[in-house]
Amino acid sequence: MSEFRGYIVRRTIYAMITLFLTITINFFIFRVMPGDPVSIMVSERILKPAVVEEVRAMFGLNLPLWQQYILYIRNLLIGYLGYSFHWKEPVINVIMERMPNTILLMGVSTIFSVIIGIVLGILAAWKRGTKIDVTILTSSLTFYSLPVFWIGMMLLMLFGYYLGMFPIAGTMSRPPPEGFFERILDILHHMTLPAITLTLISYGEYTLLMRGTLLDVLTQDYIVTARAKGLPERRVLVRHAMRNALLPTVTAVAISLGFIVSGATLTETVFSWNGVGRLIYDAMMMRDYPVLQGAFLIISISVILANYVADIVYGILDPRIRYGGQGA
Amino acid sequence: MPLLQVKNLKTYYQTARGYVKAVDGVNFQIEEGEVFGLAGESGCGKTTVALSIIRLLPPGGRIIDGKIIFNDKNILTMSEEDIRKIRWKKIAIVFQGAMNALNPVIKVGDQIVEAITTHENVSKEDAWKRTEKLFEMVGIDPSRAKDYPHEFSGGMKQRVMIAMALACNPQLLIADEPATALDVIVQAQILKLMRELQRKMNLSMMLITHDLSIIAETCNKVAIMYAGKIVEYADTKRIFRDPQHPYTRGLINAFPSIRGPKRKLISIPGTPPDLLNPPSGCRFHPRCPYTNDKCKKIEPELKDIGERHYVACHMSW
Amino acid sequence: MSLQKLMEEHIKSLREFANTFFKNKFGVIGVAILSVFIFMAIFAPQISPYNPMDVKSIGVGKPFSPPAWIKIFNKDIPDDSVFGIMGTDELGRDIFSQIIYGSRISLIVGFAASFTAVFIGTIIGLIAGYYGGIIDEVLMRFADILLIIPGLPLMIVLAAILGPSIRNIILVIGITSWPSIARIIRSQVLTVKEMKFVEFARAAGCGDNYIIFKHILPNVMPLVYVNAAINIANAILIEAGLSFLGLGDPNNISWGMMLFFAEQYQALLRLAWWYIFPPGICILLVVLSFIFIGHALDEILNPRLRLRR
Repeated sequence: MSEFRGYIVRRTIYAMITLFLTITINFFIFRVMPGDPVSIMVSERILKPAVVEEVRAMFGLNLPLWQQYILYIRNLLIGYLGYSFHWKEPVINVIMERMPNTILLMGVSTIFSVIIGIVLGILAAWKRGTKIDVTILTSSLTFYSLPVFWIGMMLLMLFGYYLGMFPIAGTMSRPPPEGFFERILDILHHMTLPAITLTLISYGEYTLLMRGTLLDVLTQDYIVTARAKGLPERRVLVRHAMRNALLPTVTAVAISLGFIVSGATLTETVFSWNGVGRLIYDAMMMRDYPVLQGAFLIISISVILANYVADIVYGILDPRIRYGGQGA
Repeated sequence: MPLLQVKNLKTYYQTARGYVKAVDGVNFQIEEGEVFGLAGESGCGKTTVALSIIRLLPPGGRIIDGKIIFNDKNILTMSEEDIRKIRWKKIAIVFQGAMNALNPVIKVGDQIVEAITTHENVSKEDAWKRTEKLFEMVGIDPSRAKDYPHEFSGGMKQRVMIAMALACNPQLLIADEPATALDVIVQAQILKLMRELQRKMNLSMMLITHDLSIIAETCNKVAIMYAGKIVEYADTKRIFRDPQHPYTRGLINAFPSIRGPKRKLISIPGTPPDLLNPPSGCRFHPRCPYTNDKCKKIEPELKDIGERHYVACHMSW
Repeated sequence: MSLQKLMEEHIKSLREFANTFFKNKFGVIGVAILSVFIFMAIFAPQISPYNPMDVKSIGVGKPFSPPAWIKIFNKDIPDDSVFGIMGTDELGRDIFSQIIYGSRISLIVGFAASFTAVFIGTIIGLIAGYYGGIIDEVLMRFADILLIIPGLPLMIVLAAILGPSIRNIILVIGITSWPSIARIIRSQVLTVKEMKFVEFARAAGCGDNYIIFKHILPNVMPLVYVNAAINIANAILIEAGLSFLGLGDPNNISWGMMLFFAEQYQALLRLAWWYIFPPGICILLVVLSFIFIGHALDEILNPRLRLRR
């Protein structure tokens, strides 16, 4: 068991280092960008040139770079991500306001695409070479190849504009309906088309991964042993093949969970969904660097965390790591 | 009545470039309590014979022709459900290398328990007790049944495999290169263990190997395979005393005898043939030092040259 | 071996490869679709009936005219309200011609961006895998960080800063998508490095560069090809996405940009399906052709079902 502890310690240190490097790079990317935020505010006549120096001093922009960096780290440690020039609010508020929308949409579509993807992947690998396999494979590859915003537009035109079955924009009706359940239903109604869109383009990746690893596992010697033992085919598949094949898929799912908070810029744009993905785009267009920097930071932390969780889960599922030995 | 009879077995693999004739008309039989050796270079079709007997060919592999009679019944015409009941209960197999033959994410004990409970109506507890006994029998501390495969060394894993193979008291044990990929000392230990168990349990066994010295020490009868065919088949003593086929002679010369007088090591020149397009006539002719025109054109049949010594060669010796 | 014999061997193995490739249904369909689009891109000026950006020249129709063949279903539409085989956009430009010219952007960006990414990724993967140690550690940490920063948002930021042009889009896609390739190549190098022939080469006193390019690279190439095909597909999708967000090169019409304009000018509200349908289908087909080719290469070059005898 102590070797497993060693593994966890190593993974933790690794995650901390990555986090630190990411924060540092995140700081410098937005410092080498053309024009600091204040001069943009000047050029967009938000500030009078006379007060520029004062504001620069306020943001610490006239300090040497390394002092700015230390200031940035110190602000992060107390949870301060900066102030949005465009939305005139602390960055954290701007992001958090949109976060629930994004987590809801991405979370639901990720769950659906993972379930559909894994089930189809197992089915395809099990029926390898048959019509079922070819159909699943072709449809997965096709949906993977579709531009997500285009599926969104097609669904929106057909079910939104033409048939009028679903709302054409937004996350909620305005004004929102009375009552708790009515409100939930209203959100679900708005969410249906974007969630279908995201599910359609992302399930294929899990299908292909699951099918590939399962096929790999099915050629392993221990599968031949399991069959030679006279186990029924179902048991070979479920007990011997699937547990080994799920390892890479679990990792992929855990990692993709990290990206849930990054939203889906293209889908959110098509459906005017007020989420983080769209926020990043808007902030870029407004040159609102603090918001961008804050969003990138929050996403990076969440991805690093998800990778860390994936490593731990992998360690628990794979006895070779849990009890030391190779592969750790 | 022999326990197992293989008659004119033909197993081909379908590939993008055509059929690989891995086993092409093989005949042999195994009597009860007998240890039968199947020898040949790697790629000659030995493993395919073994996999054909339990009908577990990899994708693309198909048994084209022949009969495999086990206990009076033809395995090749059985339903999938019937053959499943024979696997392990009647015919168990110890695979090559064993490095990967155990599932890495399941405790070794559970893998043996599973084999027992699949075929016999016993409780998990009883199966687990039997597993511990099996562990003792193959010389492993029974408490290690709770460990995972990666915690065992190569030789220990192979012992686990042997324990697992004996879990249901099979009538026939197929051992496919049971000691290959282990170091020499461990190899000797494993083979010694197998011989002891065979004698103690009066097991019928089929031993597949490329190493004739193992055959010499273990088997009653031996068949030499080359390019999907049996080229010589006889009593072990006879074959070693009086090898007939040029290939057998080459093989016997190719390994140093520990006990016998020191001989010059002569390996057989050339490489095994491409089984997609096997050579015409005798498949060994491109590598044979005695080839004549007949060998290139006509395929020799396996003929009895007396005392149940079969040879497939045009040259009469 | 003489040079001639070497050439013969090479041609023979190429022919053998082509034979297997064209037995793979996915491979054949992929190559067939791709050929059509390459033909379209090369002969765009000859094929397209109008200048795709032209609003004034004779024959160009009214804004948002549906295609002419719609009259088969509805004879009441006046002749001057329909246009061409794919109708017109918000300025009355010919959509069919835009589609033809759009293939150029997709293919150029796809090939160039993917070449950049695969080139960087392969070099970095080779170096990291071969030398190992601190070099490996530094390069892979860097790749990890790029993988952690979300892809599309990063590209949006870079594209917006560099300004809209084809060259910049190629650059943005190229420099952000090499890390995954580098990782794959690296792990393959680690396997190849342990093989006997590399050991022999080293024992024979071959230099690092020689071993990397003569012994390791050829064994990594199959993986490079598969990843290049998949990478082109992804690059084309990303280009379409960036153009859809209005970050494309305004001087060159691309499929993604057509959809950007369609959105901007309320094509959905007008139910102008003839405007929305063709660009999406074209993106799908081109991307799918590369995905199919990649899938076929993967099945041929990295066989999962090794034969056992």
